[in-house]
Amino acid sequence: MKYIIIALILCLTGCASTVPVTMNFPQVPEELKTACPDLKTIPEGTTKLSEVVSSVSENYGQYQECKIKIDAWTQWYNSQKKIFESIK
Amino acid sequence: MEQFQWMFSIIPDAILNWVYWGIIAVGLTGVVAGWLGQWIPVYGKYTGILKPIGIAVLVLGVWLRGGYDTELAWRAKVAEAEAKVVAAEAKSKETNTVIQTQYRDKVKTVKEIQIVVQERIVKEAAKMDAECKVDPEAISILNQAAGGKK
Repeated sequence: MKYIIIALILCLTGCASTVPVTMNFPQVPEELKTACPDLKTIPEGTTKLSEVVSSVSENYGQYQECKIKIDAWTQWYNSQKKIFESIK
Repeated sequence: MEQFQWMFSIIPDAILNWVYWGIIAVGLTGVVAGWLGQWIPVYGKYTGILKPIGIAVLVLGVWLRGGYDTELAWRAKVAEAEAKVVAAEAKSKETNTVIQTQYRDKVKTVKEIQIVVQERIVKEAAKMDAECKVDPEAISILNQAAGGKK
């Protein structure tokens, strides 16, 4: 009986196997890798409202660009996560 | 060990299958012959050694045949997983292209708006500067807020 058990265990070891299949980490678009620049400051000593408005509006534009970048990162993460989970 | 696996991998599956079934057949024949041999007078003295060898060969054959089926099942799973990974990587690249295009379009729009705004500021600068003089303290406060420092 013990020989049969040993023989069966030996037979089962033939079924042991490991399969390493991995997906490469998805690359993010290059544009999204650049950091958002600092906000523009107004030249010291100026009293002109036009210069203030100019700097402030440029900063608004900067914020819009950064917002687009963050939204793109969020979209990228969500879509890549969905793709990654689909292969499990 | 990997060398053995590689050597086995170059042998066609069908041939391996036949070899494994052959080993099982030899093992079974040995076991049956060992069992029947006890009633054959001249042959009977060999059954003592034939039986254990038959069992060993049979176990080896079953082990190899089981491993072969498992190997094929895993190969099919690996092929399926690899196909999924290839499809996922292609979809990932496609998604990246879509995101990149959307990003560029949106940034382009923002830059175009900025150009229009700056042109308006230049156009209205004389009027704004004539009617309003900004206190230096206001500039300092705005710069502090922009710098994010205490």
